[in-house]
Amino acid sequence: MAVRVNHKLIDELEHYGAQDVVKCYHCGNCSAACPFSKEPFIFPRRSMRHLQMGLEARLKANLEPWLCYYCGECSEQCPRGAEPGETMMSMRRWLTAKYDFSGISRLFYRSGKIEVLAVFLLAILTGLGLLWYGFNFGGKSLSVYHGDGAFLPSSAIHIFDWSMAGVLTLFLSINCIRMWWFTMMGERGPKFRLWPYIKHIFLLPIHFITQKRYAQCSRKRPWFLHLMLMLSYVTMFVLIMFFLRDMQTGPEIDWNVHTFGYIATAGLLIAVIFAIQGRIRKTEPYHVHSHETDWIFLILLLIITVTGIGQHVLHRMGMYEAANITYIVHLMGVVPMLVLEVPFSKWAHLAYRPLAMYFAAIQTDAITVPEKQPVMAPGTQLAFSGSRR
Amino acid sequence: MSGHRIGVYVCNCGTNIAKTVKVDEVAEAMGKLDEVAIARSYKYMCSNPGQEMIVNDIKELKLDRVVVAACSPRMHEPTFRKALETAGLNPYFVEMANIREQCSWVHDDILEATEKAKALTHAAVARVAYNEPLEKRSVQMSPATLVLGGGIAGMTAALELADSDQTVYLIERKDVLGGNVARVDLTAPYLDSARDILSELITKTTRHSKINVMLGTELVHMGGFIGNFVCKVKDAEGDETELSVGSVVVCTGYKEFDASRIKQYGYGKFPDVITSFELETMIRKGRITKKDGTLPKYVSIIHCVGSRSEEFNTYCSRVCCMTALKYAHEIKSAIPSAYVDDLYIDMHAFGKGCEDFYRKSSEVKTMFLMYKKNSTPQVKLADPKKDDCSMLITVQEQLSGEEIEIPADLIVLMVGMEPREDSTDVAHLVNISRDKDGWFIESHPKLDPVATTTDGVFIAGACSSPKDIPDSVAQARAASARILARISMGEIWTDAVYAEIDEELCSGCRMCNDLCPYTAIEFDEEKKRSHVISAVCKACGACVAACPSGAIKARHFTDEQIYAQIEGVL
Repeated sequence: MAVRVNHKLIDELEHYGAQDVVKCYHCGNCSAACPFSKEPFIFPRRSMRHLQMGLEARLKANLEPWLCYYCGECSEQCPRGAEPGETMMSMRRWLTAKYDFSGISRLFYRSGKIEVLAVFLLAILTGLGLLWYGFNFGGKSLSVYHGDGAFLPSSAIHIFDWSMAGVLTLFLSINCIRMWWFTMMGERGPKFRLWPYIKHIFLLPIHFITQKRYAQCSRKRPWFLHLMLMLSYVTMFVLIMFFLRDMQTGPEIDWNVHTFGYIATAGLLIAVIFAIQGRIRKTEPYHVHSHETDWIFLILLLIITVTGIGQHVLHRMGMYEAANITYIVHLMGVVPMLVLEVPFSKWAHLAYRPLAMYFAAIQTDAITVPEKQPVMAPGTQLAFSGSRR
Repeated sequence: MSGHRIGVYVCNCGTNIAKTVKVDEVAEAMGKLDEVAIARSYKYMCSNPGQEMIVNDIKELKLDRVVVAACSPRMHEPTFRKALETAGLNPYFVEMANIREQCSWVHDDILEATEKAKALTHAAVARVAYNEPLEKRSVQMSPATLVLGGGIAGMTAALELADSDQTVYLIERKDVLGGNVARVDLTAPYLDSARDILSELITKTTRHSKINVMLGTELVHMGGFIGNFVCKVKDAEGDETELSVGSVVVCTGYKEFDASRIKQYGYGKFPDVITSFELETMIRKGRITKKDGTLPKYVSIIHCVGSRSEEFNTYCSRVCCMTALKYAHEIKSAIPSAYVDDLYIDMHAFGKGCEDFYRKSSEVKTMFLMYKKNSTPQVKLADPKKDDCSMLITVQEQLSGEEIEIPADLIVLMVGMEPREDSTDVAHLVNISRDKDGWFIESHPKLDPVATTTDGVFIAGACSSPKDIPDSVAQARAASARILARISMGEIWTDAVYAEIDEELCSGCRMCNDLCPYTAIEFDEEKKRSHVISAVCKACGACVAACPSGAIKARHFTDEQIYAQIEGVL
């Protein structure tokens, strides 16, 4: 069955940042330069080709963008300036939109303005909601910050956190199932067998926690910063989800939890500052192109980190009202960040990447590599068979 | 024997000869021969000291014949002939023994190689005794030139010659000048207007006082030889004119491949499958449309139509790739909403500015799709209910490995170049050869690309192989430069080595007439005898061997000389 080429897909992907893919003339230098490009996943050239030809079904079933960590080696080797690294990045954005069942992701990626608007709306709603809750059901006074009488008691925030986490997990899980369906159950996916899924399950936590694949890039700094950001985030996540009560005591410092909190905060701050600085300076290939969503993500993360530090410092200084207001601003950042970024935008890769690695291992298993014929120039082969006859 | 005084010089050629041939031993052996007055070996005979050694020996030892055992005579025979001339001897009194290419370079065994070198040198010594004094001759060079074909190459050649104040007859079969370039709108890769280029050339050509433009005219006969050709041309009314010219430039160009020969494209069957020249016509008229007058949404350009295929022409037509890219630009600028697909085998973007042009074509979102040599894309009609296009092209796409379907409303076939149907007649008329594909053959593909095997007849432009405008113009100017150089000499020196027919012995059987590959033998109807035009003869010896009466003698290759050489080697 012949596949129909689609001239419009390339225009669609432009919204996701694939501006230069048209320049590619398939020399294959990128695939040769990539340290991850191995049978059966030779990339990024093939993905670039499918994109140029608009073979949407192939792209949707493609795990390769998730196997790329955008070290930028390919873009540096490209003789045509086709930016294969950025093309893979844009394909990750596009795939995130494709996996998303709600269509919100597509909206955000195609228009930064809509995403900013959504972030603002949600932030204001969160702020108003928290004020309304605090004045009616909470401590009712902005001058109380900790303890049961706090304006925003940790017990209530705790329940709010868990319900939010539940909804997000649900959304993300639906998208993950869609990813599995597109990549593993499509026309060219492997035949479904349960055993490989069990056999490789350990890959999920390993890749999630160590990001050891990222470490194989020739550039080590991005991996280190990314790992620092991820571990800091996970630490904060654990502290907030399980130890929120201990975090919000005071004004004396509970060193058992806050030691971890300080380390994680420092990690977040350093990682965010380096990332913002990198995208401004554009000295590294992976920082040259920034999509609107990259900036929204980083700015939100910076706001959250700074306000998080702020509320903590103000609290210990005894400025409870200021601490409460900063805390509300902090949550006004946290809620849109989690609700919008995790299932629908940049942060969804926390699930898609480990899953892709897991699926890739299963696909590799399913391929029985045929024994290769010796390579021969076509002419010689003809002459050879001719003389035999 | 009359007692010659022969000098034998054995060259070491650095170590080229000396490492396999014991040169001193060869010289010593030669020194013992009768008539050899002196035999020496020397490091480089072709060097100035080497030549001086010969000159001095001739003067001091009264030598009258010289043998140089060294490299191939192709290289240094002129050098040593000159040395003899300097010393006051007839230059044809030198004989070379090739003990490098035919001995030292092809053998390992020193003893055997030395023996062979001795034999070869001995043969030369035996032969040189029979060498006769020969004189070079000259013929007058007519400064007029006949240019065949009024395309871009023909006009350029004519103008180059005429601007140097030489008479040019430019004959063109059609009623207009311009050739194939006149069918083109813009040129790749700089998108300059072909019309502008051409109209300037045509105006200059037609107005030039030294150029006789003869439209609707063709060559019907050419006789004579370099410097003295007599050409008969015939105009549309059938009137013949005789022109005396010194040189001929053939610029007869090409014709396009007939696209209907490839069934898969449906050319002639589907109205919106057109050739590149038909698209040019559309572009020149200012509107790219389908047959029904509507604008195409999808335009596909297919490369290598008739070129680079086992079934049709195996060669590359050189200009189609860049022309196709030019179309991509022209279509995109005429219909910005149109999608342009470019189906190619390999993108040949070798010319100046062409790689940049290719990149730019990518940037305007031309979809480049690679198909495999000898696996022709298939064109079929689309389903009007289901598809938003009128045709579909199916092809095995190489860079993705996918079998794909391409929507198309207009399909442009990049037809390749072929020799014109009349190229056989032209080749016969001006006595030049054609290659397996029918293109005219140059004297040497690299070192002599505009000359032919017939002295005084030059080829320029796409009549010798597919060529773009810059290459055609360069060839036209190159041919003109060669002709002008000859004209400036006023006369042509011909080699003293040529065949001669003894009219007393010739029976007039004319066997040699058709045998001569250079048509150097003419038949005198009055005397009923053949005779050789020495200016045309290349001394190949074919007639000498064939003559049943033994009436033909090759100067410098007489029977006595050959027999002596054979005896010498044995």
